Amino acid sequence: MDKLLADKHIAVRRSVRAFCERELRPIAAEIDQEARFPWEIFEKMGALGYFGIQVPQALGGAGLDAISYAIIIEEISRVCGAMGLCVTVHNSVAVYPLMAFGSAQQKDRWVRPMAKGDKIGAFCLTEPNAGSDAGAISATAIADGDHYILNANKVFVTNGGVADICLIFARTDPAAGRKGISVVVAERGAPGFVVGDLEDLCGMRANPVSSIRLYDCRVPRENLVGKTGQGLQIGMAALDTGRMGIAAQAVGIAQAALEEATQYAKQRRTFGVTIENHQAIQMMIADMATQVAAARLMVYRAAELSTRKLAFSQESAMAKLFASEVACKVADMAVQIHGGYGYSKAYAVERIYRDARVTRIYEGTSEIHKMVIARSVIQNS
Amino acid sequence: MTFHTIVCIKAVVARAPQGRIVRTTDNSCFNPFDRVALEAALQLKAHTGGRVTVLSMGPPACEVVMAEALAMGADRAVLACDPAFAGADTLATSTTLAAAIETMAPYDLVLFGTRTADSDTGQVGPQTAVALNIPIITGVHQFTCMEDRLEVERTMDHLVESFAVDFPAALTIRPGALQSRDIGLRGLAEAFDDRQVERLQLADLTLSCAQVGEAGSPTRVVSMRPLRQNRQGQFLQGEPADLADKLIQQWTEKGLLD
Repeated sequence: MDKLLADKHIAVRRSVRAFCERELRPIAAEIDQEARFPWEIFEKMGALGYFGIQVPQALGGAGLDAISYAIIIEEISRVCGAMGLCVTVHNSVAVYPLMAFGSAQQKDRWVRPMAKGDKIGAFCLTEPNAGSDAGAISATAIADGDHYILNANKVFVTNGGVADICLIFARTDPAAGRKGISVVVAERGAPGFVVGDLEDLCGMRANPVSSIRLYDCRVPRENLVGKTGQGLQIGMAALDTGRMGIAAQAVGIAQAALEEATQYAKQRRTFGVTIENHQAIQMMIADMATQVAAARLMVYRAAELSTRKLAFSQESAMAKLFASEVACKVADMAVQIHGGYGYSKAYAVERIYRDARVTRIYEGTSEIHKMVIARSVIQNS
Repeated sequence: MTFHTIVCIKAVVARAPQGRIVRTTDNSCFNPFDRVALEAALQLKAHTGGRVTVLSMGPPACEVVMAEALAMGADRAVLACDPAFAGADTLATSTTLAAAIETMAPYDLVLFGTRTADSDTGQVGPQTAVALNIPIITGVHQFTCMEDRLEVERTMDHLVESFAVDFPAALTIRPGALQSRDIGLRGLAEAFDDRQVERLQLADLTLSCAQVGEAGSPTRVVSMRPLRQNRQGQFLQGEPADLADKLIQQWTEKGLLD
């Protein structure tokens, strides 16, 4: 695939891979087991521009394009899914909506430090009773003079435990149904801003996924992003970009599974030969490699459309659906190739298998994506 | 005049499956030994100011590595690129690099890696210095720029040698001397979107066709074949103390121990 990429994208992949192999690989298993957020890596990533990938250079970002973004997420996730998650969520559903819908003042105030990694972003939509059904949220942001008073119980917030700048989806007009939802930024440290306990998750354990609770949290009216009632529109636009990131993450995880399985197959001996010689293993490796290649092309297609500022909602939904399903299938086959060892924490595929599973759930389940894709296909036919 | 450091770098071949060498962009990577030399130049620039030029000779596929050098912080990248340069051995390469360096004068310091990760001769740095008629110190692990001279240290055969050298001078930098920096994303975006790798052709140099490329190369690579080394396990028997002696004796005979 790299032969078809531009020189810039080849160089981006190479630089990110070198960094991740040297810095992240040695601790990936440990931070997963300890459920520890690696601040030491985070700071280095910030200095290298990983937290403002597509932010214009005038705002302190790297000013790269969407394919570079996909490649970066893919490469980080190839080594550590949880840090791939941290970087993609920050860039896509936290920074992007501020760039697309925020005022110049908001960009200067929030995006500038976020692009340098001085502040971490989080996207707070999901609630205990509202995830796929985003219009069912019950958080409120009630205007009170120059302020909003926020009350919310947001759960499964990626980066939640370390986030500084949280995009809160809340009802500014509780009577207006889906059209009464807005996005208001709440900053860590504001009175009434509470970070809940970290979730004890199956995978992505180094990411501090937590709840964020707001109790009569007063924030200035200028913290409103976009217009009142624009919340779901902002959310959907953010998720279009976010899906591409998760799709890229899934490709990275799948690539890791493929590499681990192939290496293992070349070493493990049964019936007098290395198992790469068994046709059953070869069939699996062929299926894995083909599916990973197809998923990668779908992600790059969505990214290229995004770079060209063409509609890419359907393509990013397809890429996310396909790549996440591929990640799970490929991780499953990688475990199968490893046999009993693949079920042990002694081998990386055990972590990869756990990390892969959530890609079919977060930032829109596979089922929601099928709805999105079907609607788009039917409307355009 | 600002201090001018020229760093000679090479885009080495990353992989040669089945012994076949294909020079494409995705198969060319920054010689890790040269990255250390560039790091030394950039640290010197951060400390004393001046400018850093990277120079290479190679096909267009090398441009990606030149852009990586710009992304690391080099001020200028120059690629000597001409079909006439193809097939150069280390002497023709050194002749070409020296002629290219002459076009960039004035310069104060020329840095090289100690060797390359693909052909591994370690000859280009010293030969280029000879062609330029400037002093060279190889395997340097530390150097300091004084007002009128360079103070240099290198480790050889368990001795630390110290030198004072007049400018302009050439050094090859020991790989362990420094950790080269990671390449930041912004630097990559700027290098590829906003900056250019300059090209030098044979016509730009004071050289004839006979001095460069295959024509200027007294040595030829006749063939290449992958070498497979069969690893063998060996069981030694006896008491632990005797076994230790036997092992040490075998390792000493093989030159693994001093």
